[in-house]
Amino acid sequence: MENATEYGDARQCLDAARASMRRVKRLLSQPSLEAADESATLLRDVEIQLGCVAAILRQSGSRPDIQIRAGVEELQSEVAVLATFFSGADKMLTGWLDAVRTRRGGYTDRGQAAPLMLVRKLSVEG
Amino acid sequence: MGNLFSVLNSASQSLQAFEQAIDVTQNNVTNANSPGYADQVPQMLSQDFESDTGVNAGGVKEVTQDTRNTYADTAVQQQLSLQGMYQQLQTTLAPLQSVFDVSSNSAIPSALNQLFQSFSAWSSQPTNTNYQAAVIDAAQQVGSAFQQAAVQLGQIQTSTTDDIQTTVTQINQDAAAIQSYNQQVGQMPQPDAGMSAQLESTLENLSSLANIQVLQGNGGTVTVLLGGQTALVEGTQVNTIQAVNNIASNAGNPGAAPNISIEDSNGNDITGQITGGGLAGLLSVRNNLLPSLIGGGQQVGGLNTLAQGLADSVNNVLEQGSTTSTPPYQAGSALFTYNSASPSGIAGSLAVSSTITGSQLAAADVGPPFVANGAALTLAGLDSTSPGPVDGQGFTQYFASLTSTVGNAVNNANTQATAQSQLVAQAQSLQQQVSGVSLDEEAIRLVQLQSSYDAASKVVTVIDDTLQSLIAMVPT
Repeated sequence: MENATEYGDARQCLDAARASMRRVKRLLSQPSLEAADESATLLRDVEIQLGCVAAILRQSGSRPDIQIRAGVEELQSEVAVLATFFSGADKMLTGWLDAVRTRRGGYTDRGQAAPLMLVRKLSVEG
Repeated sequence: MGNLFSVLNSASQSLQAFEQAIDVTQNNVTNANSPGYADQVPQMLSQDFESDTGVNAGGVKEVTQDTRNTYADTAVQQQLSLQGMYQQLQTTLAPLQSVFDVSSNSAIPSALNQLFQSFSAWSSQPTNTNYQAAVIDAAQQVGSAFQQAAVQLGQIQTSTTDDIQTTVTQINQDAAAIQSYNQQVGQMPQPDAGMSAQLESTLENLSSLANIQVLQGNGGTVTVLLGGQTALVEGTQVNTIQAVNNIASNAGNPGAAPNISIEDSNGNDITGQITGGGLAGLLSVRNNLLPSLIGGGQQVGGLNTLAQGLADSVNNVLEQGSTTSTPPYQAGSALFTYNSASPSGIAGSLAVSSTITGSQLAAADVGPPFVANGAALTLAGLDSTSPGPVDGQGFTQYFASLTSTVGNAVNNANTQATAQSQLVAQAQSLQQQVSGVSLDEEAIRLVQLQSSYDAASKVVTVIDDTLQSLIAMVPT
């Protein structure tokens, strides 16, 4: 994780955030646990990097800056894509899990997918 | 105990089973890159001992197990369906952006700006013939800009209608291919991996065109439902759909284009069932967005509302003003004309009165009190009056709201299409991963992935809030 003090100004923080976001986009094209975990870490980096931008801007006072504005807007559209992606992925995985649950444990009295018991099987002999 | 013949028969069957297993492996290697192909796993099962004949005792029988996971296939189809819809929206909405351009250089805002500048200049010297001519010239530019926009929107409406017809044809072709598959599979003794891959590929293509549900039937056949309700393919029967003009949709709105409806083979309207795939995207633009802009169905259209609001407001001021500065006051002439018989055709018919001359423009407001340039001043400030003349908004503000509607639709389509591309990749990748694993393994993987995504999603919400604050801190 890069430290806020490593960045000279708001633009550098923003560039670092954008670079992290690009890596997140690449990682999320594969549905692996490792990629998802690394994405979450990188997103926390983005959060900190943007916090640096906010702190620097607060200190220097708000003034028009086309470059920073464009960078923030670009990140906003990427965040919108990510939010849509996570929402769609959640819907897809929930549906998928429901299908697995019903195949594995059937339905509850209320017609919902039976809860899945993912515990280690114990075999007792003798 | 079996006799010699039954032992030999059993051994022979075992050899056949191993040969079949080798064939399956060979098939997997050959088709590794075929779209929609799922590995066939050869399984050797011991044959039941038939006590009366002794046949098959101790032998093995090869049963090919298709590793395709039904939900994985469904998930891919659903994601493809959404991707198809948003990608189609991107394609169809792109030309609209040239009509509703946010920049001030686009035809309508630019022409409106020129018109109000000409009113302003004319108000400074109401009898100046050059300024009067400039007003008429600027008004002609406004008329041309509206007419051009109406023509462009009409062309987009026509091409969208053509695209709907093409998509419906493709859906019917895919349905025919699935029907053919059902016919063939019914005559085969056991599943054919190549045919299954072909079917999967057709189903994925169909998913990108419309929201379908696939039900597995007897003997390997499939039933395909459109929107979960209308049977498109049922066994060996195919029910074609068609796109038709919904004549009733534009009743009472003369000149408006009728909406397009999708009908099943019995003539039932199933438009409401189409909620995914390229067809849903096309129908949304053709039946909702375009009518809200240029008219159609029961809508007059924002561009027509704007054209009428502008023409009526300007004409009203001129007709109440006077061309003379002393009594008897002479009422001015209307500057704009349009076809009022067709509310959906107003923008397309907006023009400057062919008989008007500069001297017929009324600059004076007869009051009381009489103001020699009162009408011209009113016209110069017409766009900034509050509340504005078009639904409470000024003309440029109203046009900006139409632009914003199109811009938001385009942005949303872009965001959704990008996210959907990643979701399709995810679904396809998961489809590959779950082939052959146990249900428990599959569930564990899904739960872990879901909780990881959930954690990442929470951070995204925080980032979004921070970005909102940053936008406020960096003004344009």
